This record gives sequence, structure tokens and C-alpha cells, in this order.
Amino acid sequence: MEIMAPVGSWESLQAAIQAGANSIYFGVEQLNMRVKSAASLTIEDIEQVVQRCAEHNIKTYLTLNTTMYDHDRQLVGSIVKACKAAGVDAIIASDFAVFNECKKQGVSLHISTQANVTNIDAVEFFAAYADVIVLSRELTLKQVKEIVQQIARRNICGPKGELVRIEIFAHGALCMAISGKCYLSLDSNNSSANRGACVQNCRHRYKVTDLDSGKELEIDNEYIMSAKDLCTIDFLDKVAETGVAVLKIEGRGRSADYVYTTVKCYREAVDALEQGAYTPQLVAEWKERLNTVFNRGFWDGYYLGRELGEWSEVDGSKATQKKVFIGKIRKYYPRIGVAELLLESGALATGDELLVMGPQTGMVEDKVVTMHLDNGPVQQAAKGSLVALAIAAPVREGDKLYKLVATEYAQNTAS
Amino acid sequence: MPKILHHRNKCIGCNLCYEIWPLRWRMSRADGKCTLVDGMEKKGVWQAVIPDAEMPMNEKAAAACPVKIIRLVR
Repeated sequence: MEIMAPVGSWESLQAAIQAGANSIYFGVEQLNMRVKSAASLTIEDIEQVVQRCAEHNIKTYLTLNTTMYDHDRQLVGSIVKACKAAGVDAIIASDFAVFNECKKQGVSLHISTQANVTNIDAVEFFAAYADVIVLSRELTLKQVKEIVQQIARRNICGPKGELVRIEIFAHGALCMAISGKCYLSLDSNNSSANRGACVQNCRHRYKVTDLDSGKELEIDNEYIMSAKDLCTIDFLDKVAETGVAVLKIEGRGRSADYVYTTVKCYREAVDALEQGAYTPQLVAEWKERLNTVFNRGFWDGYYLGRELGEWSEVDGSKATQKKVFIGKIRKYYPRIGVAELLLESGALATGDELLVMGPQTGMVEDKVVTMHLDNGPVQQAAKGSLVALAIAAPVREGDKLYKLVATEYAQNTAS
Repeated sequence: MPKILHHRNKCIGCNLCYEIWPLRWRMSRADGKCTLVDGMEKKGVWQAVIPDAEMPMNEKAAAACPVKIIRLVR
């Protein structure tokens, strides 16, 4: 199974490469579903993204998956053209205008989950345009398996002449609306989710008021519209049995450490499955690691046939760790593995867990073992100090350095 | 006279300002973003001086903008 990683910035691209993704997906300009949260990559960046991935034999897919208007036609044409020139492996889309443009220019197409493909006849219909189809996230694994089997039975082939491959979401945020087709953000803030500008107001708490009596209804779970995050790592064996070809990890709006940790865990899990080494002990360890990065609590989505969704218990994240910015790398001496760092915020002590992130560096984790100030080795350094720090993996000037600390959520649940 | 400041590079091309006040806003076919009619660019921000009478409609457009990139200065 191919692991497809989300890329919303140069940092997360590098993190996806380091974590062992088989492919990445990213968006450019305003026609992708993360215009508010992902750092804006542009048409000019496409070539470099493809180049950096090609060096590691990683496939690239570009999301061109918003609702399209007439005034977008020329930009759609330019983006498809740039993808063709740069050698992007496929474009992920749900609007027919993009299907048509890809066909005209001879660029491979994947059908986005926004198209809400939930049955084999829809797969057959889209096979005229696409070699890979992302199924709706609301299907059960049984339904997914049935679709994959029928593709072979009916010999449904895509434009390349090969059997259509099925992709599903394996991990990340879920939406309260089916296949992300939501009107809430537009209704409340004029900010259309279908143009990538979702304000995520479903993630807030709400009260329900009976307008006749004025009574407020109590809802046991206050985050009634905010679904927990999907996590399939503990039943990945069942996912593999369906015959899906691609596992997509959601999170183009999330940071590089999220991309690294998530992709790495799924990489290890898929490898373990292939080697017959997928065990409950490993699953527990992966889940613990997945818990350290942004999440709203995990559930198994709709794959195992639950009747109702599970709703988040928190406003933001249930992550057990958070990163606190402490400063930037001023210089790195690769031969001795030492970085010079200006402590711009907070203090640093030996034993602290560190995270370095940068556009070229991606994500590097380390621990403070030795630390020097001007007058020799120290155990602690205060804000404003210029510190020499041993960091084994190569980092770069300008990279940001964070300290990992337990979140309030982790402290509260521990106490 | 009042002035409009438009951070055009952040426009997501939602069409709303054009729907509200097409005399001042146009959708560009070239890049799908909204263009400030009679605007001049200064350091990446588009600016146009407008008559007082146009303020209410542009205020509406600014309030409706989902990415809040239209600013009015008196």
C-alpha cells in the first residue's frame, strides 16, 4: 500500500520525505481546499516540489479540488499546464471543469473524496477520466472491499489501461458533513469551505435553545458537531484486506512534526504488515506516538460500521505534547555537530527534548545533552543567551528550534 | 476622500465583493482573483481613492470578504 502524505509547506515536505512517504499531495494558489491553513505554495513552486520528491523516488499529486467558477478557468489551465511541464504524477480534483482540462492536456487525474464516490457504478463512470479514485470517507470497510473486488470482476480500467486503483483516508481530521460538502462556514462567516476557506466553526461548543420556551437544552457532549480524528492504525490489517492501493493521511494544514510522526507510524505499520510483524504491542506504541501530535481524540471513522459518529471532547487538540518556540539556529558546524542558537524565548536545560524545523531540514528531534555558553559548559541557559548545542543531525541557519513539553491535556489526564 | 486598500495576493476568488459592488470590483480571468478597479499597486497592496458615496457598498464588500483583505481608510 502506498502512503500518501499531506504537504502544506516546505517544512512538511521535508518531513514527509524523511518519514518515508511513497507519495505526497500539495496545493498551490487559491484553488485548493486549504487556502486558509496551509502556507501558500505557488505555481512557481511546483517544479521544485517535484524535483525534491523525484530525488527520493516519491510521487507527487497536486490538489485542484475546490468548486470552480468561470473566472477560475484560465488559472486552472495554467496550473494543469505547469503540472504537466514539471512532471506532477496526477491532479486530484472533484470539479468536472478540471477533469476536462486534465483530459485536454493529457495529465493524469485522481478523483477527490469531494466527489463522494460511494458505489461501483460511480467508479465505472469516473474510470473514463481517472486511474485512482478516492472513496467517500463515510463507507464501511466491507463496502470498500466490495468496490475493490468488483473493479477486478468487471475489469474497470482507467485511461492508462490498468485496473482503477482505490484510495481511502487512513488518518486525520473528519468533517461533520458528508465528503466535506459543508455549508456551515459560508452560512456563518461568508467563508466557503468548498473554496478552501472553512473557518472550522463546527469545532466550537454550541447550546441548543428551544425558541418557544426559551429553555436551553443540555447536550451531554458539547462538541456535538466536531468529529474526532480518524485513526486506522489499530485495524490496518483489515484495511489491507480490502485491497485498497493508497492510504491518504489528512493534514495539509498541520505542522511538520505532525506530518513526520503520522507518516512514520503508518510507514512502520505498513512495513510490519508486509513482513508479518504487525502486533498489538506495536499498535499500542504507534498510538502513543500519534497521541503526541495534534489530534482531537481518535476513533475508527465509519470503516467499522458504527451507526453514529464519535464527537470530540476538546476544543483544540488532545495531543500529549506541545512544542514551545525557543529560538533560531544562527549557525551550524557540521564537522563537530554543534549548533549556535540564540535563546529568544524561555530557558533551556540539559535533558530537554528538542525539535528543529526548517524548509530544508524538515523535522529533527534531539535531546539537550551538552550545552556551552561563552565561559564553558552549563546545565541551564536563560533567555537571551547565545548557546552552543550538540545536535547530531544536520540542521541549518534560520531553522526554528522548539522545546517539547507536556500539554495541559496530558497533565490533567495524568493527575 | 476615502481610500481602499486591497491585499490582492491573499484573495481566494470567492466572487463576493464583485457581486456586491461590480463598479469597483472585477474578477480577473487571468488569475481568478478579484481586481480593484482603478487601483494602483504599492508594495504588494492595491490602493484606490473613492468618492464618499461609494463607501457603504465597499464597506459591505469588506465585511463580506471571507479572508478580510479589503480595508477602508477615511
